[in-house]
Amino acid sequence: MHTKILLDEEHLPKRWYNILADLPTPLDPPLHPGTGKPVTPEDLSPIFPMELIRQEMSPQKMIDIPEEVRDILRIWRPAPLYRAHRLEARLKTPARIYYKYEGVSPAGSHKPNTAVAQAYYNMKAGVERLATETGAGQWGSALAFATKVFGLECTIYMVRSSYAQKPYRKSMMHVWGAECIPSPSTKTKAGTAVLEHDRDTPGSLGIAISEAVEDAATHANTNYSLGSVLNHVCLHQTVIGLEAMEQMAQVEEYPDVVIGCVGGGSNFAGIAFPFAGDKLKGSHKETEIIAVEPTACPTLTRGLYTYDYGDVAGLTPLLKMFTLGHDFVPPSIHAGGLRYHGASPIVSKLVQEGTMTATSCYQTEVFEAAQTFAQTEGFIVAPETSHAVRVAIDKALECKKTGEEKTILFNCSGHGDFDMSAYDAYYAGKLEDYEYPEQLIRESLARIPKIPT
Amino acid sequence: MSSPPQSFPRITVGFLVNPIAGMGGAVGLKGTDGLVEQARIRGAVAHAPGRAKEAMVLLKDAPFRFLTCSGPMGEDILRDAGISGFDVVYSSPGAETSSADTREACRVFRSIGVDLVLFCGGDGTARDVFDTTGTGIPLLGIPAGVKMYSAVFSLTPEAAAEILLQQGIGPLSLPLRDAEVVDVDEEAYRLGELRTRLYGIARSPYLPGLVQGTKVVFEDRDDDRARAGIARFLAEVMEGTPEILYILGPGTTTGAIAHEFGLEKTLLGFDAMIKGRIVECDLNESSMLALLDQYAHVRLVVSVIGAQGAVLGRGTQQVSPQVLRRIGVSQVIVVATPHKLTETPMLFLDTGDPGLDAGFGEFLQIITGYRTAQRKRLKRSTGSCQ
Repeated sequence: MHTKILLDEEHLPKRWYNILADLPTPLDPPLHPGTGKPVTPEDLSPIFPMELIRQEMSPQKMIDIPEEVRDILRIWRPAPLYRAHRLEARLKTPARIYYKYEGVSPAGSHKPNTAVAQAYYNMKAGVERLATETGAGQWGSALAFATKVFGLECTIYMVRSSYAQKPYRKSMMHVWGAECIPSPSTKTKAGTAVLEHDRDTPGSLGIAISEAVEDAATHANTNYSLGSVLNHVCLHQTVIGLEAMEQMAQVEEYPDVVIGCVGGGSNFAGIAFPFAGDKLKGSHKETEIIAVEPTACPTLTRGLYTYDYGDVAGLTPLLKMFTLGHDFVPPSIHAGGLRYHGASPIVSKLVQEGTMTATSCYQTEVFEAAQTFAQTEGFIVAPETSHAVRVAIDKALECKKTGEEKTILFNCSGHGDFDMSAYDAYYAGKLEDYEYPEQLIRESLARIPKIPT
Repeated sequence: MSSPPQSFPRITVGFLVNPIAGMGGAVGLKGTDGLVEQARIRGAVAHAPGRAKEAMVLLKDAPFRFLTCSGPMGEDILRDAGISGFDVVYSSPGAETSSADTREACRVFRSIGVDLVLFCGGDGTARDVFDTTGTGIPLLGIPAGVKMYSAVFSLTPEAAAEILLQQGIGPLSLPLRDAEVVDVDEEAYRLGELRTRLYGIARSPYLPGLVQGTKVVFEDRDDDRARAGIARFLAEVMEGTPEILYILGPGTTTGAIAHEFGLEKTLLGFDAMIKGRIVECDLNESSMLALLDQYAHVRLVVSVIGAQGAVLGRGTQQVSPQVLRRIGVSQVIVVATPHKLTETPMLFLDTGDPGLDAGFGEFLQIITGYRTAQRKRLKRSTGSCQ
């Protein structure tokens, strides 16, 4: 019985899976924030290289991964798939639990999967510097690594509360030669405006995105890079699910349940899209694909499915997605990477149409699950990842009740080595269980932009 | 007694001890004032001076200027603690000190000008100090009673010192928050019933992060900022629901909601608001029932009161079970700043009707900021938390 299911390097996927090709109806197009009309490739060209714009809109089902990108991914890929024997024994469940471990990358999470590809395409397009935002620092450190590999400069706007909470993520970015600026900052108009309104703001991903987009738009040698949400980002992450599918086939398994945590949705997309594709094509129709989010920021479970901006300042195209409102500043939970008001338009659509489902967890519940996981499987996971762990455990416990021998697969998206203060807070009983007061917010809400449809 | 200097380059702290605080309660007497001899006969020992010294020893080398009272009301404690930088500005005329001494000493502190009054005593002492200082001078209490219900007290004497030893301290740099001063009915308390009344709301320094441990979260660090967020959110909710009459309970957080509409509400009472205006102030049970006859949709907005975490019941007797039942449990909105919640590890619900209490469920949602809430487990008077 395998514990670790490994693939040879030559099994590192040669192509990404583009789920856009398999959607039964096309995705609603992103709209230009100025005109309200669908964005054109030219609209995006000031901040993205053309190859990524093509991928964003591509109808092609499989897209080749450049060899230069595969060479870098080979440092840690294919990532191992584990069978969680000890966790299963602890839970006394008849379910079989598998997890794809993305914590083996240099930055410690799934984020380099797209960071490497994005840095590569920007380098090929002659871009000298990338500007981006980061919440908990996972994405920032991943892009810092990737830009260093391809010889680009990198400026990272890091959400202020995380900048204070996670000093070692900042240190990693410095090691890889990137500049890390707490956001909101006075370097941009968007940041300055927020600070004038609220000097002590903890910041948010939405604010940091505004700053990075503005930086890119106002510097000719600089492009913008986003770590989640967009189609091309989800595309690059599909190596996770493609590998997992092959690894599961090696042990003659196919998951009944696929689970991932969702902030913007990219790690979830990475593990889930290949399986969702099977489901859309009519095979494995019963696969349950579950997105897990924090109760503090329950975009898919409590948000509205509508067009909204991706950032606070309203600089990005309007995306059709589940949103809590682009001006929502989620509470400072430790899973900083899940503090985003919106979600990937593709994930949103698949949830809306029922191919996938969504659920939310309280902060203390997920840390309890992470502790169980660490004490059985050994890995101390990131607070974001612990959301997926929680639901995997809950699903396994359901099987214990029903006696079903389901196969559960979850994406173990990153390690928590820089999140130990969050674990300390959990043990000290100092973690708050945040909620989203949905009814009151709906009563108060008039801030989603009105889009002519 | 040396004469007080005219100007103080450093932070000036008015320091006083109620040496007999807690003595009566400890031996089963109702209060201590005027009953000290009886308390002593019953074996009561003054422990306030010792508690005060525990804090003051830690402040020995702090750059403070102390103004204090003679003998056991301050001078002796400072000397025992090894502090020399103080001036005695008030002497008790009697052999035994009383609440009149506390008030008079505070009047002297106020007239000379202090940045903070640091006192050691119980809820009664807090009331006496607050009577004189009001919200004009921040207060901090070193706890010396058996139980402290006012939020002006630090958790321990050491914590009081720690609060004052914050880095970068200066007359204007102390972070301040609202702290309820509560009146405890001592007679009822002796009979095993805790009955409190919100007496006033003082300003009190606190240590951001003291109870937060390793968690550094910006929005939890600033009480006023959080309050403003709550008020802005609730004001938007009220604007979005013009058909609903809102009854706002006591406290500064609910007061801030009225401020959003440019209104002043009764600090310690219940006011009714609809469509951005106050329709009736300082409601009692019968006026609430009358409003409930008049308006089809009514919501109640209350905050967490005092250090004991009461949400409804204590201090909010106007909201009788009958009133609450007619409003409906689902129409109660509870608000509190994150800092307040960290200070009140257990929220208490005691409406006087166990059936109603049960209607709130196991958890309570509390609005803690702009579009933000926390879930907290409820403790009930009739049962224990699980």
